[in-house]
Amino acid sequence: MQRIACSERDDWRETAEACGFDFHTIDGERYWDERAYYAFTLDEIEQKIEAPTGEIDAMCLELVGRAIRDEDYLKRLKIPETFWSLIAESWERDERSLYGRLDLSFDGNGPAKLLEYNADTPTSIFESAVFQWTWLEQAMERRIIPKAADQYNSIHERLIATWNELGRGRHLHLTGTTGSEEDLGTLAYLEDTAIQAGLTTTIIDIEDIGWRDEGGFVDLTGRDIELVFKLYPYEWMFRDAFGVRLKDAPTRWIEPPWKAVLSNKGILPLLWEMFPGHPNLLPAYFEDDPRARELGVSYVRKPLYSREGANVELVSKGVAFAEQQGPYGAEGFVRQALAPLRSFSQQFAIVGSWLVDHTPCGVSIREDASPITGNNSRFLPHAIL
Amino acid sequence: MKRSRRVVLTMMGSAAAGAVSLGFVPYGDCGAGRIAVRSQDGRITCRATYGGFGGTLHHFHGHGHGHGHGHGGG
Repeated sequence: MQRIACSERDDWRETAEACGFDFHTIDGERYWDERAYYAFTLDEIEQKIEAPTGEIDAMCLELVGRAIRDEDYLKRLKIPETFWSLIAESWERDERSLYGRLDLSFDGNGPAKLLEYNADTPTSIFESAVFQWTWLEQAMERRIIPKAADQYNSIHERLIATWNELGRGRHLHLTGTTGSEEDLGTLAYLEDTAIQAGLTTTIIDIEDIGWRDEGGFVDLTGRDIELVFKLYPYEWMFRDAFGVRLKDAPTRWIEPPWKAVLSNKGILPLLWEMFPGHPNLLPAYFEDDPRARELGVSYVRKPLYSREGANVELVSKGVAFAEQQGPYGAEGFVRQALAPLRSFSQQFAIVGSWLVDHTPCGVSIREDASPITGNNSRFLPHAIL
Repeated sequence: MKRSRRVVLTMMGSAAAGAVSLGFVPYGDCGAGRIAVRSQDGRITCRATYGGFGGTLHHFHGHGHGHGHGHGGG
């Protein structure tokens, strides 16, 4: 794995905007950054990222199966009891997942290590699936990168194939915070893939979902919401006024409610308990577990629920050397062994490893001058050389 | 490895999200959060209650929209 500086396409902004990638610059700073790219060998991709991603996902599914049978797991994850049956029933009905993203610490040498699983509401799917592929094609054509380069990326076609199986011929609502350019862009991209798979669609703001007096969720026209993709986390839905209605509605949610188990950072200690010493896991414990002391004085502290690195704290030799402020942490914290991201040219890079329908199918790289990946960390493309 | 792939977008960049809000206005007699719809026979009925999702977003991020201020993706 190398970081290779390169020239950028002089027309990349126009190219981005022409295909609907409006959030390439955030608060005046680059989000999409092609002044460098990350190069992998095929062996690194296949053996060190793709295969472990499939293995980690399989371990996660085993964990969900146990959590459904043993309420102690759900208690430890601080999932409110009101929603246990919703989660269990969605698992027992085998409701399928569309996609997810594992965040891995990987430096090209040792095994990739799981930092967290964005199982419920992952973003950066458009730039991973489409825009970095456009970059690859144009960068090869313009001799910015070697002509024989390749990319680990079949996200787009797998999304279409999965939508086809999930709902061909059906109507799909897509909901989220449409006031956020990034979330609306994600919804619009997923809508595009669903339409290509033969679904009809409506995008609706999460606040515009209604509850019909006779029972059931509806959109603003009063149309029943039967199948819906949501870019709004379950832990928030559970707290919202309509949360208690979830179990009474026939709506099929994507991601399914059982993903609420996996989007919780409490899975890190639970996976470590189930698969101690696994090469792709880091030692991790709930903070109130006396065994957390085994990590010593260097560790990462993460809230059970948090987004975009918020309230994550890196501690070395007892001293916090990086932390990100945020509103999370009321449900408790986990501690995970410190696995600092590798620094390339003074930039810390994290590997996002994508799964669509449980099939590993692509990577995305985010980098930042901070060792904590956050909302404004830049997205860099990758190539296989 | 996967060089034969072809990535095509059909509507990104167009008015993909044009139907985000249809501009319904709450009917005064329906009560807080409820919205009136006109039925096929022309009568206005208080069909549904709205606004039951989204509260936690504002709890954590206030009412500001936009990148980094409040969104559900991660």
